[in-house]
Amino acid sequence: MQNFTTALKAEHIKKKGTGLYVVAGILGVISPLIWTIVTIIQDTPNRNKLPYNYFTEFIENCLDPFATFFFPLMIIITVSRVTQLDHKNGGWQLMETQPLKKISIFFSKFSVTLIANLISIFSLIAGCFLFGYITSFILEVPENASLSFEIGSVLLIAARLFIAGLFFTALQYIISALLPSFIWSILIGFFLLLAYLFLTAFNVVPDWYPIEILGKIATYKKGSDLGYWFTYSAAVSCICTVIALYIGFEWYKHKKLKLAFGTGKRIIMLVAVLMVFGGLLFYTLTPNLMEPYNKTVIAGSIDSDIPIDKLYLRDNFINDTIAEIDVKNNKFHYVFTKDMPLDDYILNLGNLGAMSVTMAANDSTFIDIKKRKQSTKVTLTGTRLAENRYKEDNQSGWSSVNYYISENVYLDKPDFIIKELVSDWKEAMAESDKFKTVDNYVPRDDFKQKNKKVLTIRYLNLWNDFLKKRAALFPNEETKETPEIAEMKKTVPLNDEGLLSNEAYFNYVSSQITAEDTEDVSQNTKSLRAIAKLDNGDFKDKMLFNQLKQSMEDASDKKERDSLAVLYAGNFSNKRYTDIILYKKQIIEKLAKGKQAPLFDAITINNEPVNLADLQGKFVVIDVWATWCGPCKYQSPYFEKLALKYKKENIQFVAASTDDRMDDWYIEAKSKSKSVLQLHINNKKEFSKNYNAVSIPRFILIDPEGNLVNAEMPFPSDQTFEQLLRQALGLEEQK
Amino acid sequence: MTDYIIQTKSLDFRFSKHKKVLDDVSLNIPKGAIYGFLGPNGAGKSTTMRLLTGILPEQQDAISLFGKPLKTQLPQVFENIGALVESPALYLHLSGYNNLKYLAELRNVPENRITEVLELVDLTRDAKRKVKQYSLGMKQRLAIAMALLSEPQLLLLDEPVNGLDPNGMRDIRQLLVKLNKEKGITIFVSSHLLAEIEKMCTHVGIISNGKLRFEGTIQELSEQSGACKVQLTLKDAAQWHEKLLADYPSVVLESNAQLSIELSDREQIPAFTKELVNRGAELYEIKVLNGLEEWFMTLIRQK
Repeated sequence: MQNFTTALKAEHIKKKGTGLYVVAGILGVISPLIWTIVTIIQDTPNRNKLPYNYFTEFIENCLDPFATFFFPLMIIITVSRVTQLDHKNGGWQLMETQPLKKISIFFSKFSVTLIANLISIFSLIAGCFLFGYITSFILEVPENASLSFEIGSVLLIAARLFIAGLFFTALQYIISALLPSFIWSILIGFFLLLAYLFLTAFNVVPDWYPIEILGKIATYKKGSDLGYWFTYSAAVSCICTVIALYIGFEWYKHKKLKLAFGTGKRIIMLVAVLMVFGGLLFYTLTPNLMEPYNKTVIAGSIDSDIPIDKLYLRDNFINDTIAEIDVKNNKFHYVFTKDMPLDDYILNLGNLGAMSVTMAANDSTFIDIKKRKQSTKVTLTGTRLAENRYKEDNQSGWSSVNYYISENVYLDKPDFIIKELVSDWKEAMAESDKFKTVDNYVPRDDFKQKNKKVLTIRYLNLWNDFLKKRAALFPNEETKETPEIAEMKKTVPLNDEGLLSNEAYFNYVSSQITAEDTEDVSQNTKSLRAIAKLDNGDFKDKMLFNQLKQSMEDASDKKERDSLAVLYAGNFSNKRYTDIILYKKQIIEKLAKGKQAPLFDAITINNEPVNLADLQGKFVVIDVWATWCGPCKYQSPYFEKLALKYKKENIQFVAASTDDRMDDWYIEAKSKSKSVLQLHINNKKEFSKNYNAVSIPRFILIDPEGNLVNAEMPFPSDQTFEQLLRQALGLEEQK
Repeated sequence: MTDYIIQTKSLDFRFSKHKKVLDDVSLNIPKGAIYGFLGPNGAGKSTTMRLLTGILPEQQDAISLFGKPLKTQLPQVFENIGALVESPALYLHLSGYNNLKYLAELRNVPENRITEVLELVDLTRDAKRKVKQYSLGMKQRLAIAMALLSEPQLLLLDEPVNGLDPNGMRDIRQLLVKLNKEKGITIFVSSHLLAEIEKMCTHVGIISNGKLRFEGTIQELSEQSGACKVQLTLKDAAQWHEKLLADYPSVVLESNAQLSIELSDREQIPAFTKELVNRGAELYEIKVLNGLEEWFMTLIRQK
């Protein structure tokens, strides 16, 4: 050990004047510098209203460039320079003719690179504090940001970066120590960096890839979902480092690979090390599965600035309430007694909106909800952690074949489209197996199977669209189904009740069972006819319910709805569906064109009471919104623009808020355009019920007599909104 | 019995199966000797040097230093060895002083020793300059200073005067002889030029094509080299050539004022001179030609 400290001290004499540590420091500070410039130029207001630490967030924002670029770059440079000092000057031989153990030589130099890593990480953090502090004078610090020094989080980030950097440092060090030419270590280092970009683009980076280990720090800025300090990828980094250093050191010590591992004893040692650490690595890399629980539980805690006393869990299909969950002292705990199939359920958070929860029987789910003003943060853990994370991460389903078919590209080349379709599908299948969380948890098999079906349905629907387009464009050419398409079809049964909460599945079944029907009637009609012929049971009920609801909404007049009700409402085995459908019909009719708009009470910013009836005499167009609703905020500028444009017409633009907190509404409403009348609805529940307002934003048009013109207008960002207005106002079409 | 600082017993070394770089090399370097290790380029000198320092792992257990097998003593044995192997290992970006300071740290030598060795190799004035700016001779001297830093019992020097001018060579030679005499340091020095080291060595080993051709003291070397050749500068050389040809068939007319002649040994020189003078030769100069050099050349040409 004394030998080692001597060697380490001597290394520091040797590196004098090379500026090794200075470069490490500079490369650490670049990321915060870039981030500072970006934030000052962009000056985006922070919309996050939850309390957070200003500096910790600053550091987290710098992790992307640092962990996957500047830090590995620093490692490549430092390691190469440290080893080149001796390669260039014959130092390796010089050191060997000193009373120095080889282990001291090898590891004292490695320690210098690790010290450089620490310096780089330290200067990243110091840079973040410095530039963060400077930025706080230039840009306003949000009131919910704390400017304290969060030692725990900062240390955690530093430790995670250091550990994640170990493997790459060790690998580069070994290459540079063994190969005298600097070109190889630099070349290999940059190759690893670049290959990482390609591999991530194709989503085929193995977990042990040295840059991926660093990349995980940037991807999962907060670290483990389960509160561990040491994640599995940190363990992978440590294990790989040990293996690499063992092989590298033995190689260095005996100069030649053959000498290092050629003799019996050394081979046995190598095999032993590989077995033990390789075994550990395999164990660490093996994905974990959450075991089912003995009960079905949903529990959680709520930290919110508005009171919440009840949560509702609804099914995703008819929005039936499955459970009414009481919240006491900001906590809730509910045990389910009935069987729950695996599905996405909707947890209605009362005033906070709703969230999707994937769960099944014997799952224990914990939900932590934080809300301040417009910001809500929901953290879901429990036995379906991986499944819910998967849902969050994999929202987009973009594929090239989707683009071709929807844009009518290459429709004349069926072979090509089929090839693309099949390869995209296969890729999606392979991809769905790859998902894992930061703690190496993977979704359970039941979910994977179901998810694969859901993904396959997406591609089968594309196939059906393609067939239809082909039939219309090339009626004389046959588009043949290939064995691969048949295989896709085989994975999705036509009577899986569990899949019906997925709209795409409904469309798929509907299109499959109406494929033979060539009569020239609407798809709705064909579908209803085909469903009516299915065997009675839950599956038929749900299909019929879905289709009938759709047909009711699409029906143009009362006569058509009446005839639908007569023909089909009685066909359900479960009479509950009949009731719901008839109730739906009633609401739709109540909100039909020409019906009197349900009245409601509200107040203005000046605290004056207003009733909808007071606005009669003019057309009224209402924007139903709330301060916490993002899409509403997106639509409101379009709405205001139209209000200005039609100021002189006989129409009143109204923004009606459903906010629970009057102060939130007051501040936002005051800053809005005066051409829109700002109202706050007094009884939100009654309003929602009367107007069937399941979601906002919602736009309603009422005529001067107080009758509905359109109870569900398109969004103002859509041009048809304005066309409908002009139509109602009797203005001619815009050219 | 003599104390041997370095001994190798039938040292063999091969880089590949077919090429034997060293073949049965048995070296014996007695304590207190200045041992010249001679051989042409590629004879196996550097390989031997690298084996002796453990830079190349040896393939048997043939080497012992200070009476103990080398393998068991690595790397502590270097506390007593100063080595300069092949091109001098210096950190060009550091000053001469810091190069020595680096070694002082490694060898746990007090810093005042650095000034001493700088003085010894006459680099005191250039100590603060970067080694990058040093001349070849200065670099060589610094490398020797580094080898001397910890006052070792044994110095291993690979071609220490390589690339130096005659003055530089002489200085180094004088330094080494001084160290050997005053401190009793054993010096093992390799070279490909006999003339370079002949003047300072007490012992010589000659290697060519991986085989040791000769080992012994410098006296033994000159005895071995046999006949003694002398060069005469005299008036009427052509005449004397004819006169002498009868008794000395080896006489050669080198120019019109010079003759060379081979005598059976050095002891014959006084009698031969007397004879010449008695016979009336006007002799200006008589010079012993180095037979060693030629003998050395024939030795190393052996396959």
